[in-house]
Amino acid sequence: MPIITLPYAYLERLTGVDKEIILDRVPMFGADIERIEEDHADVEFFANRPDLFSPEGVARALRGFFGLEEGLRTYDVRPSGITFSIDPGLAAIRPYLGSAVIRNVSFDEESIESLMGLQESLHWAVGRGRGKVAIGVHDLDTVRSPFRYLASPRDRSFVPLDFEREMTLEEMLAEHPKGRDYAHLVEKFLRFPLIVDADDRVLSFPPIINGELTRVTTETRNILLDTTGTDRKAVMTAVNIICTALAETGADVESVTVEGVEMPSLAPVERVVSTAECSGLLGLPLTPESMAALLRRMRYGARPLDADADAVRVQVPCYRADILHDWDLFEDVAIAYGYGEITADLPATFTIGREHPISAISGAARTVMTGLGYLEAMPFTLTNERVLYGRMQREQSAGALRLLHPISEEQTVVRTDILPLLMEALQLNKHRELPQRLFAAGDVVSDLVTYQTAAAVSIHPGADFSEAYAAADVLCRELGLDYSAVESDDPAFIDGRRGDIIVGGKKAGVFGEIHPGVLNAFELEHPVAALELDLRAVPGYPGQPGAPSPGVR
Amino acid sequence: MELTLNEKRLLVALEPLGPIDAATLADRMGARKEAVVQYALLASDRGLASLEKNIRTVYSLTEEGQKYAGEGLPERQLLESFDEEIPMRDLQQHPLARIGIGWMRKKGWIAIKDGIVSKTGTDAPGADEQAFAELTEGSVDTGLSGIADLQKRGLVEETETVRYTVAITPEGRALVTKGLDLREEVGTLTREQIITGEWQNLNLRRYSVEKLPKRVYPGKNHPYQRLLDEMRRILLDMGFTEIQGGIVQSSFWNFDALFQPQDHPAREMQDTFFLSENQQLPPGYERVRDMHEHGGGTSSTGWGGAWSTAKAEQCVLRTHTTCLSIRHLAENPKPPVKAFGIGRVYRREAIDPTHLPEFEQLEGIVMDEGLNFRHLLGFLREFYAKMGFDKVRFRPGYFPYTEPSVEPEVYVDGLGWVELGGAGIFRQEVTAPCGIEYPVLAWGLGVSRLAMLKLGLRDLRHLYRSDVEWLRQTPVLAGRLEE
Repeated sequence: MPIITLPYAYLERLTGVDKEIILDRVPMFGADIERIEEDHADVEFFANRPDLFSPEGVARALRGFFGLEEGLRTYDVRPSGITFSIDPGLAAIRPYLGSAVIRNVSFDEESIESLMGLQESLHWAVGRGRGKVAIGVHDLDTVRSPFRYLASPRDRSFVPLDFEREMTLEEMLAEHPKGRDYAHLVEKFLRFPLIVDADDRVLSFPPIINGELTRVTTETRNILLDTTGTDRKAVMTAVNIICTALAETGADVESVTVEGVEMPSLAPVERVVSTAECSGLLGLPLTPESMAALLRRMRYGARPLDADADAVRVQVPCYRADILHDWDLFEDVAIAYGYGEITADLPATFTIGREHPISAISGAARTVMTGLGYLEAMPFTLTNERVLYGRMQREQSAGALRLLHPISEEQTVVRTDILPLLMEALQLNKHRELPQRLFAAGDVVSDLVTYQTAAAVSIHPGADFSEAYAAADVLCRELGLDYSAVESDDPAFIDGRRGDIIVGGKKAGVFGEIHPGVLNAFELEHPVAALELDLRAVPGYPGQPGAPSPGVR
Repeated sequence: MELTLNEKRLLVALEPLGPIDAATLADRMGARKEAVVQYALLASDRGLASLEKNIRTVYSLTEEGQKYAGEGLPERQLLESFDEEIPMRDLQQHPLARIGIGWMRKKGWIAIKDGIVSKTGTDAPGADEQAFAELTEGSVDTGLSGIADLQKRGLVEETETVRYTVAITPEGRALVTKGLDLREEVGTLTREQIITGEWQNLNLRRYSVEKLPKRVYPGKNHPYQRLLDEMRRILLDMGFTEIQGGIVQSSFWNFDALFQPQDHPAREMQDTFFLSENQQLPPGYERVRDMHEHGGGTSSTGWGGAWSTAKAEQCVLRTHTTCLSIRHLAENPKPPVKAFGIGRVYRREAIDPTHLPEFEQLEGIVMDEGLNFRHLLGFLREFYAKMGFDKVRFRPGYFPYTEPSVEPEVYVDGLGWVELGGAGIFRQEVTAPCGIEYPVLAWGLGVSRLAMLKLGLRDLRHLYRSDVEWLRQTPVLAGRLEE
């Protein structure tokens, strides 16, 4: 999540509140303070509140939260007379464009930095890494309206930001740092998005890089904003957040005509919400008046609806992209009320607890194995085929689940058996005192189905088939299994010293003395008696866990 | 003070004697000398006997020296083999010539001129010869002059002998006079001795409680499993039904049913383990689709855009246990529902001391008519109190599937306020497609972090490493939640 740098002096000036109070109260507003420094704090705001990704946005919200300035902040928008056209050829590439003009900005190095920070945070939170929305900020006075957003041939060239020579669009993808980072967003298209002015000079190659021509500097007085993307709503959210943040610094926002549509309006969206529903959800005794007052502290326009005693008419500011549902407003009511002021209460809901049968079965297996002196291990469920099959001298399981994008060579599949992981645990503990007896009971996955097995190993100079058979026998008997044992052909065990556990005519487990080849593979120097049992064979195990998923009613 | 039988025997043997050589005593007691010295050492530690160690240096002839015994040193024998003069050539024929000629010259007994060896007349026996003569009679332990020269010539060797002298002290004598029980000690009681009553006549060996016993270790549940079991018991006590489910889930249940937008960063391959397998969408999935696209029949706007069936069908390793909660609710939409689950979840994270690609999560839900946010806080407060955290505070939080959301923090001595899990009321966008008409309170907890706090671990990997030493040494009651 984006971390916003909040300079105390700037914030104190914008809110009129001491930094101590700000630092004390900000967490109760919905933020995590990451670092407190001499002159600033680094604060993490939630991903759903991109309007708080700038100090100006934070100040606007805090002025309300502290009760200094409540209700809706309105923004005047005058038409700029500037126009944009959109090439229909972009429909399948990057169809949407949002724009605005912001006049009378006054930048120093710090505020340019802050604007770039906001832009990057929006690229992450709203733009989804520039795919959904990419933002360009230009010095308006270097170019001329009308502007065109077009699908350009790939060999068109211009001077990109931070370079001194002209490059073709294709060269930029290969050579410009930003080109390399974001090439994947456009390289599949025959033509690339491009923004040019009345004189066919290039402003930007969205979503990759702006031109050097329109670079914003401390001399810049007027800004042209472009946001391009694949989602109309997100494109406008970015425009609204940037325009309102700059307006908070005293700049003037003007609208642009894009394909005949005047934008942005920066007008609020209206919602009429029920006080009873809000009171019911929060458990607070609210009236339309008290609820409206709380909403105004969160910078909404809000007043009780005259005709209906239960309702509040809410004006949602244009920068609040997170308000999808009435309950989103109710949460803000709770925040304004203060989470610390809400008394906790236990409901009367009466139910009787019930353990899951799989837990009961696994628990019983644990009781038996610990009673035999075995220590419980809890190995990872992610492992690799070398451990599961190679070192165990076993055939690869067809049902093993392979990760599409594993994070390391050690963890490429989900375990289909637990025994190999216990062998690995013995390897890790080979310098520890013998005898060692380990067991584990837990999930395995085969053919997408999750089920449980219990496995055990015993290593010491006297470990043998008889020990393994005795342990398997008592585990089966204690779990109520009606089993028989037949000679096994599992290559992980020594021929003539291995058995399969058969329940209801099906193999449910294996036990015996581990093959010396396997011992060598795990660098073990003493015999190992081992077993593994499929807990689905245990009476009372619930029916098909891989059953079709429930319907959505 | 408990004497061993052997010490008692030693004291009894010593009692009528004065100081005595250990070897002699051993003969009398019919024991080995080393054993007697050992008993005497124990008895002397108790002040009942004294043990004196004497080290004596003894000189004796070596094998070569023995050859000359009686005959005299080679140079003496050689000197006596001729009269006044002898040609060197003839003298060299003598068997001792090689050793003897040099020594005769060195001692000044002879002069050699023009191939003729002649006696000088100075040939009195030196200190070395006198010592040699004495050593021929037997070993000596005094430092005779001349021995050093013989040692250098390899004719004499030096050996050390150790002798022990044992004596009884007045305390020891007093003890013997009082009488000592000299019956044979018995270690293990036999069945025979127990049932025949013979045990009444036995001298059972006494053991010292000061010497620690050999350590043994019981079979035990894993410390982390014990914590998980304690949490399970707490939630069962609170009336919750336990739920379990598959590790493999469709994106539909893991994300879409929880109103996670399809372009949410968590749904990208760098955060989640995707699988090549697909799972068919359940009947009624269209209601979830509608919710994403336009908010269905609720006050929601939805996320907008087109919802992809293919994206929803793709399987993942579950990224949270919340998918189990929503599946349980979809199967049980009628109130009341109180359920919890503990299970492993998977995130595509590189392994380091505080991050693992798999870890346990605990999840609880309560659904009933009339439930509200205050009840959520009530459950949380109760739950954390049961976990041993009496000081809890609530802060606003953000989770994609709850609204309102809350981040509970607990106060831990030495650490301050620690964020421990997340909670909220399921969004209507989540509950409405499943036909749920009442609020669902939900909370989740990263229990592996809780286990680290409770077990005092700095490295999360320790929980899964199966270090036998740690498992053996961690007490069964370590990290108990309710103290």
